[in-house]
Amino acid sequence: MRVSFTLILGLPLLVAALILPFVVADNYVVHSAAMVLYFAYMASSWNFVCGYVGQVSLGHAAFSGIAGYASVLLFTGLGLSPWIGMILGGILAAAISVPVGYATFRLKGPYFTLTSIAFAEILRIWLENTDAFLGIPLKGAQGLTVPPVGGTSFVAFQFDGKLPYYFIILAMLVGVMAATRLMERSRLGFYLKAIRGNRDGSEALGIDPTRYCLTALALSAFLTGLGGAYYAQLFRYINPERNMGIDLSIDMAVMTIVGGQGTILGPTLGALVLHPVGEVVRATLGGHVLGLHLILYGVVLMLAVLYFPKGIIAPLQRWLAPAPKAPAPVVKPKEVEGR
Amino acid sequence: MSNRILEVECISKRFGGLQAVSPFSFHMDKGEILGLLGPNGAGKTTAFNMIAGALRTDTGAIRFNGRDIVGEKPWDICRLGIARTFQLSKPFGGLSVVENVMVGAFVRTASEAEARAEAEKVVDFLGLSAKACTDAEDLTAFDRRKLELGRALATGPRLLLMDEVVAGATPTEAQEMVALVRRVRDLGVSILIVEHVMKVIMGLSDRVIVLDYGKLIADGPPQQVVNQPDVLKAYFGERYVHARA
Repeated sequence: MRVSFTLILGLPLLVAALILPFVVADNYVVHSAAMVLYFAYMASSWNFVCGYVGQVSLGHAAFSGIAGYASVLLFTGLGLSPWIGMILGGILAAAISVPVGYATFRLKGPYFTLTSIAFAEILRIWLENTDAFLGIPLKGAQGLTVPPVGGTSFVAFQFDGKLPYYFIILAMLVGVMAATRLMERSRLGFYLKAIRGNRDGSEALGIDPTRYCLTALALSAFLTGLGGAYYAQLFRYINPERNMGIDLSIDMAVMTIVGGQGTILGPTLGALVLHPVGEVVRATLGGHVLGLHLILYGVVLMLAVLYFPKGIIAPLQRWLAPAPKAPAPVVKPKEVEGR
Repeated sequence: MSNRILEVECISKRFGGLQAVSPFSFHMDKGEILGLLGPNGAGKTTAFNMIAGALRTDTGAIRFNGRDIVGEKPWDICRLGIARTFQLSKPFGGLSVVENVMVGAFVRTASEAEARAEAEKVVDFLGLSAKACTDAEDLTAFDRRKLELGRALATGPRLLLMDEVVAGATPTEAQEMVALVRRVRDLGVSILIVEHVMKVIMGLSDRVIVLDYGKLIADGPPQQVVNQPDVLKAYFGERYVHARA
């Protein structure tokens, strides 16, 4: 049932995303659209663990930063293609997430959130104040630039127009959704939902919560890392503030919560609504009232929690794919299985 | 000895200054339904949690099919073949009835299709097929209890620990649950059942043990045990026993 709904809502969105850059062939529009897709991707990566296990991490930006820096440094230092750097960076982020998660997943609710903030902030502050580490030039708060190779080079992840970047992030977003769908239908997905619903009960059914939370976290950190590396390539620049600041973590969490946690399309809907609104406010009022978009975020979050506690995807789902009247026909699960 | 599925030797639990369970021992045979009785606060649930691995016993040993399971984690104990139900049934929200049961079935298989097939069998066994696709949180209290049992059954247990299965149920529902528990035993599952409702435990158990203030005060066939002065004293007080004598 959820599957068909995801397609009903997702396919038109995908078609719209595919034709948008040809209808409005404006670099600014394409870049802005790519940013929406980037945030949708990041929120979806966050949702991969947090949305399903019901814990709010505000430290995910650290994984973006780790992989971003890794991909840039491997390119500038060793001349390794950012595509490979991206994967290696993602793996590094996943590897670091495991010990961090091992310590923090024992904590529940606000304690988990606080430790996740502490982890990311310690890493960011260390990076901002470290010029070089073990001979690797990190250049502190100044950040690193990616030297242009000149023109378009697929291997170097550098393109002339914005269009290739747009389609890369679109493909990544579709990829993360497919991964989420696979996870949802697998043992891991069922286990995460069980842990979210009732931790003691899940333990009694043979589930080691720490093990499955860590598996999901490592996958989520990997996906977040890919996004961080993409961001560094898009701007050909990386610094601790933009690539691993707490703002990014908050964006990922708020977009997912507003859109709908634990769903395939929810995070994308959240990004689709929140990012443009935030941009418009920043552009029109940002010069006068600094941080107004954050106030707006707060207001939207409050409204969403009050009126759509399951995210804006919930009313859409009721409208587009109304639940079958109870008692449901018994044949239903077989139908889903046959798909 | 090979007929013993569970041997509990001198397990005890102290919470700070309170000796919740004094060292006590009992055993269970394969295919047996054993009732664990006792007034409120007697330590039934604590004893129960120690066997299920949610609490660690301070002393003694717990042997399941001859293997000591003290110190094993709850999920490992479940994998070994001991399943449990909780006093308060909390279904996994956002999952349908059949999906809730699948969570249990995933212990024995990683395949979604196999888990679903197994879960559908269990849901059918429970008589919940008509509600298979209902969100588990929309179930009535009694159906939640059945679902709780179903989740545990889906893990393929040899020993089932059941905590207060008919609490809050109407007499008709209680009867239905009793019949269901008997059918579970007919599948070859041994059952340790904690229950307050006398009628249920008397009709269901092959043998009962009684805990009072953390001590084992009786062990035997139900009819015989309920007439023992110690048991009457625990439930109705000293004066009642004197008045009867």
